[in-house]
Amino acid sequence: MENNKMIEVTDLSKDYHVVKKEAGLSGAIKGLFKSGKQTIKAVSHVDLSVDKGEIIAVIGPNGAGKSSLIKMMTGVLTPTGGQVLINGKDITKNRKEVVKNIGVVFGQRTQLNWDLRLGESFELLRHIYEIDRDEYEKNLEVMDEILGIKEIINKPVRQMSLGQRVKGDLVAAMLHSPEVLFLDEPTIGLDVNTKFALRKFIKEINRVNKTTIVLTTHDLGDIEELCERLIIINHGKIIEDCNLLDITDRIAPYKTLVVEYYDDENIPTHENSTLDKVEGNVARYRFMKNDITAAALIAELSNKKKMKDVAIEEVGIDEIIRIAYGQ
Amino acid sequence: MKNAKIKCLLHTLAHYIDVTICHIRMAFLMIVEYPSNIAGWMISNPIQFILGFATIKFVVEQFGQINGWTYGQLAFLYGLSVISHALSMIFFVQGWFMGFYVVEGEFDRYLTRPLGVMYQFFFTNINIFGVTDLIPGILVFLYGCVESNFTWSIAKVICILLMLIGATFIRGGLYLCLGTTSFFTKSTMDFGQYTQEIMDKTTLYPLSMYPESMQFLLTYLIPIGWVSFYPISGLLGIDSGQTYGLLASVITLLVGLIVLAVAGLWFNYGLNKYESAGN
Amino acid sequence: MKWINKYLFVYKTQIIRSFTYKYDVYGNIIMQTIIMITSAFFWRALYGFDISKPYGDVMVNGVRLEDMLTYIIMSSVLSVLLSTNVERRIESSVRNGSISTDMMKPLNIFGIYLSEDLGRITALIFQNILPILIIGSLFIKVPAMSDLTQLPRFCISMMLSFGINWLLAALFGMWAFTAIDVDALIQVKKHLLRLLSGSIIPLWFFPDWFANILKALPFAYIYQLPLDIYIGKSSDVEVLQMMTIQAIWLVVLGLAFFIVSKRATRKIMIQGG
Repeated sequence: MENNKMIEVTDLSKDYHVVKKEAGLSGAIKGLFKSGKQTIKAVSHVDLSVDKGEIIAVIGPNGAGKSSLIKMMTGVLTPTGGQVLINGKDITKNRKEVVKNIGVVFGQRTQLNWDLRLGESFELLRHIYEIDRDEYEKNLEVMDEILGIKEIINKPVRQMSLGQRVKGDLVAAMLHSPEVLFLDEPTIGLDVNTKFALRKFIKEINRVNKTTIVLTTHDLGDIEELCERLIIINHGKIIEDCNLLDITDRIAPYKTLVVEYYDDENIPTHENSTLDKVEGNVARYRFMKNDITAAALIAELSNKKKMKDVAIEEVGIDEIIRIAYGQ
Repeated sequence: MKNAKIKCLLHTLAHYIDVTICHIRMAFLMIVEYPSNIAGWMISNPIQFILGFATIKFVVEQFGQINGWTYGQLAFLYGLSVISHALSMIFFVQGWFMGFYVVEGEFDRYLTRPLGVMYQFFFTNINIFGVTDLIPGILVFLYGCVESNFTWSIAKVICILLMLIGATFIRGGLYLCLGTTSFFTKSTMDFGQYTQEIMDKTTLYPLSMYPESMQFLLTYLIPIGWVSFYPISGLLGIDSGQTYGLLASVITLLVGLIVLAVAGLWFNYGLNKYESAGN
Repeated sequence: MKWINKYLFVYKTQIIRSFTYKYDVYGNIIMQTIIMITSAFFWRALYGFDISKPYGDVMVNGVRLEDMLTYIIMSSVLSVLLSTNVERRIESSVRNGSISTDMMKPLNIFGIYLSEDLGRITALIFQNILPILIIGSLFIKVPAMSDLTQLPRFCISMMLSFGINWLLAALFGMWAFTAIDVDALIQVKKHLLRLLSGSIIPLWFFPDWFANILKALPFAYIYQLPLDIYIGKSSDVEVLQMMTIQAIWLVVLGLAFFIVSKRATRKIMIQGG
């Protein structure tokens, strides 16, 4: 039977030893002779498994351990404990073999040669990954369609805009057609058009090549557009691992009905909802999806007072994440 | 079964050579990109060694001989030592600045590619400018050959090649050992000037001038003596206390391989402590 | 007087920053100790030092081994006092463009760089110079000054040599305004300074014609002169003569610095970095 698990993380931990520093000059001198060491658990006992062809987003506040987790999954950091299997193979033990099958983009850093034209970096990668010329040309052709990479292939990387550089990095990571692609904050600092192109590209390679994609991001647009599965990390632990719809139902299983009346006298209430807020002639009713349907609530309220306009607000993903971090 | 293994090994070797050629090509492209650099290095490196050699000449004029080594023999020693220095500059100079690479998280890139990390670290940053060190080295060496009445033979040519490879490995291994400390200290210390100063004092002059304790240290513990003194004593037929003759060049190569292997193990141990950047 | 407080703040901040690089401090001490002890062995060997004879016996070129050993310890100390970061600082701020924001500050950028260098060196007095002096005294010899009445002169000439050295470094650093990569230029300066200043081999071991050329260049006034005064090698007249030339070099380099920095800052202002 074919194993469908692309990534399997078991009991993964990473500790850092940090030297505590005291403030001021006297603290600095004291630090020369003795220093208090402190152990920080950046990632502690994480289990995670990702199926082939899935797109998952790993999110969490700054310093939550996302970067450490993704760096262990890509073989950059050696775990303090536990293991990472990519396609059934341990990345720490078989690094050279396993990384042939992964592509990595760290959004804030580039793997391209700063001083030379983009094509030279691709050429080097072609040699490193032993991609034959036909396949290379074919891959490039496909990626050119969405990202327009051929327009910039002769431009030195140092002269590129951030967007062009990230596109370059993404192509560089996909030249050898890896089965897993890791993206660490790929859309950070990019303009709307570039973000759109990148997301389209990511969706496309996922659809066509069944590439498994793991991304970390602070951009909620990335999550809404790309992922069905969301991993929320805080203090080095996975606090949520779920479907995007499920988490909305669980954390925020309510909607808000906003009603605009003709005047602000005798704003009605309803027993199956709570009147959240009244501002002039606008009233906000919060109701549970299980208690009453939106249609019934509108019908019953409009019996009590004549309405001018209605709108239904769902809780946004940012609100959900904020609540989840707070748990 | 055995055949398949050999085939696989040959394939790996061919792959590394292929990538190396690619790296060298990129290094040349970078030189073309910044032509003002070449002029700088063309001046800088020869100045260093020509002035250095002049200094030795003046010192020898003041003190006569140095520990029984004539001026011509010292030139021979100096020349070969600078040549191995130049080779180490081309391939291993990054060891001096490894702290920068560690702190900036440059190893991320090497670790996510299917080649040896140590190989990538040195060859991605191959320093073609090191060639400018070769020129003064070769000039002084040829001068030393004439002055010391060096008689050539095929065996000696082979020995010189072996000892140069060995000496380059010893230097490279030592730079790597120093640089690897930055995995633990996360310091961006530049070991360049210090290493250079120590190497100058210990490889450009006969080791026999130093006290025995120091000779012992530099022969067995930090084998700098093998970079130039022992193999060149052998080549010139100078009795250095321990007479190895031409065999010394072969031992140099072996010592070089051992030093590089030990440095590699130490490097791999350090690499486990690598923490990337920005955590 | 408010502006001086600002520079003092930069100075103090730099001292604190210097103390946070703990491993650099240890690394520097270890490496410098190795270099110093190797140098001591080197000169002992050249002098044909023999344990059975007292120190003072051998003289080469009018210099006893004992003085030579003082010379190398003090040369190590000076190399710390004379370490500059200004050239790298200018280069990196030109390269990453922070030079234009530095120029917006209500302080002179070179004033900031000088304060940083002074702060760093102040920290180095404790981190490096004291350990070097202690280790040198224990393992080589106590590097006592030959004639304590020369102390004021030594101090003055030290200050002048710091000035010359710093201005030279800043001038080389400003090359970065025209060339993209000044690494090679900084190397050239380093080698010239290393070999022509007497920091490794004192000038009196060079033939007269060569030493005379070097006396016309500024390098010798950075290391050789203060060390000469320290070990009492030269006569009073010679010292005063040399100190005059040293002062002249400081003025010349100061003027050159003034002109070049004016031009360089104008260039930055126009280009906007």
